[in-house]
Amino acid sequence: MKPEAAILVVDDHDGFRVFARKMLEAAGFTVAEAATGAQATEAVRAVRPGLVLLDIQLPDCDGFEVARQLAAQGNSPVVVLTSTRDASDYGGLIAASPAAGFLPKDQLSGAALLNFLAGSPP
Amino acid sequence: MTARLRPALIAAAIAMVVGEIAIFYVPRPPPPPVFAALTITTGAAFLAAGIAARDRWPGNRVGLLFTITGYLWLLTWLDHLPNSLAFTYGNLSWTWYQAPLVHLALAWPGGRLRTRFERGVVITEYAWIVVSNVAALMFWNPAFSGCDATCPANLLLVDSSRPVYDAINAVAAAVSIAMTVTVLTLVIRHWRAARGWSRRAMLPLVWISFAVASFLAVQTVTSNLNLPVSQVLLSDIAPLILLAGPALVVISTLLSRSARGAVGTAIIDLAPGATPGRLRDALAQALGDSTLQLAFRSTDGAGYRDTDGRRVDPARPEPGRTMTPLTEAGDAVLVHDQGLEQEPQLVRLTASAASMALEHARLQAAVQAQLEQVRASRARIVEASDAERRRLERDLHDGAQQRLVTLSLALGMAREHAADADPALQALIESARKEAREALLELRELGRGIHPAVLTETGLPGAIQALAERSPVSITITEVPPRRFPAAIEATAYFVVSEALANVAKHARADAADVTIRELPGRLVVQVADDGAGGARAEGGSGLRGLADRVASVGGVLRLDSPPGCGTRLEADIPCT
Repeated sequence: MKPEAAILVVDDHDGFRVFARKMLEAAGFTVAEAATGAQATEAVRAVRPGLVLLDIQLPDCDGFEVARQLAAQGNSPVVVLTSTRDASDYGGLIAASPAAGFLPKDQLSGAALLNFLAGSPP
Repeated sequence: MTARLRPALIAAAIAMVVGEIAIFYVPRPPPPPVFAALTITTGAAFLAAGIAARDRWPGNRVGLLFTITGYLWLLTWLDHLPNSLAFTYGNLSWTWYQAPLVHLALAWPGGRLRTRFERGVVITEYAWIVVSNVAALMFWNPAFSGCDATCPANLLLVDSSRPVYDAINAVAAAVSIAMTVTVLTLVIRHWRAARGWSRRAMLPLVWISFAVASFLAVQTVTSNLNLPVSQVLLSDIAPLILLAGPALVVISTLLSRSARGAVGTAIIDLAPGATPGRLRDALAQALGDSTLQLAFRSTDGAGYRDTDGRRVDPARPEPGRTMTPLTEAGDAVLVHDQGLEQEPQLVRLTASAASMALEHARLQAAVQAQLEQVRASRARIVEASDAERRRLERDLHDGAQQRLVTLSLALGMAREHAADADPALQALIESARKEAREALLELRELGRGIHPAVLTETGLPGAIQALAERSPVSITITEVPPRRFPAAIEATAYFVVSEALANVAKHARADAADVTIRELPGRLVVQVADDGAGGARAEGGSGLRGLADRVASVGGVLRLDSPPGCGTRLEADIPCT
């Protein structure tokens, strides 16, 4: 399946963004980047991505808060939370979030994101 | 009293008593034994009181006055000697002892006359008693008193005139009664004006003065006016009342000893670390001095304040009051009645006792302060440790974990790029990727153990739920307060639940456990209860001991209830705001 949506990678670690971009571009996605929660909100307005890969731990606010803000805007993209930590480290916060799901960073792949876009998270 | 004066006084007193016996029994037919015994006893008691008073109050004139009274009393019986000079002196001086007695009553207990008027009264008494007796003797024929021709001569006789002699005695009696009333009034005024210890010391004198004054008045009036009163009662028995004078010294000594005992008892009964106010009250009660003040130098160094916060100037105490320092530095002082200075031993004992009690209270306060410092220090150490653990976990997350994630992603990309390459290379890349993921998992576990990120970011609800989700035992979370608490409190509550759930999984053989964190006024109560085998012991492992230390570091208490066969309940009671 040829991906059509743009992906916004939100993470304050440059190294992760670089590899995520390479991997997702290799998978056929158009990739935009943001390093903070504020930049992410701006980028969503500007780029209108189909999916936002949102790191939970950001320098200015946490990913849950950004997900809530995006959900409140209406017509929001699919938001996938990510972290180097495990989903169980966040208790019930992920389930309570408006995000479509959680993907550990080390399991990032184009196929995984396509599943989220198709509405069937892994 | 100097070392040589004391034996000299004792020797003189003994010589006087022996001489008195000789006066009574050697030259002429002796007087009735009761009379002789009482007379000698009274004189000896005054002499002994004089020596005792000089011993107790060196520099105080009351000792000298007791001594003078004793000698004048005993010497007046020289009239028993068959010698005209001795006979004349004896009859001349028979009431002279009353003058030092008046002096003693007005100077008690300090030994000094208080006002010019009182000095005038005493001088008048000394002068009048000599002059009136000389005048009377100039007209006294020994035959007036029943003396026969064997009596020695009155060397001062000028004119044997009974009417003149009686007139002089009548005037002397009136003056004596006026003097007695004056002295009694002054003694009562002294007592009423006295405060604290002085008032206590004055009270026996008031009663004794009444008794002695009554005796002297009756004796003077009856003898001068030749009233028909039993001579045995008047001259032989009544002088017993004079023994009340020396009894003042005994009573005063007993009062002082009683007060010393009371001070000791008060200090013993004082609760450990009692406040200075309680100490003052105890000492005031023991000394019978409600005006006693315990004052401390102000922390700003500007003057002293007593336990009621009133300003005190030790350099200028109120009239009749004086100051005794309790410490060498003079940081604490006792302000008390000046009369207490008459009892230096009592003052020293009181000051030492007060000083010890204050030192005890100070040491207890210092220990308490050190304990508070240690508690605060322990809390700071735990907080710093928590902060360091948070930093370590964050560093792991931002550093090694991120790099391993990146490495894992890179290896994933490398594997895809090497899809057409040597299978051995593909296997090698896959193996490396697997190792990277394993390392990442181990780092996650390590970071979780160092400090749970979810606690920092979301507080207790998320953190406790995360613990419950990872537990192999079925966990029910009954209640967790949604609000945030200070980091040290959250971390303590979290580690209590974490350690308890770890123990449930490892040792309890439980099917289910319940976690409750309940906020009560001023405290947070954390409970973890399981349905396992029970029988856990607090001293059984370092985990619970460390947890108890951790809970104690924030002022809390850890309780373990684990009867065999009835499950285990671990409860931490943590004070919080």
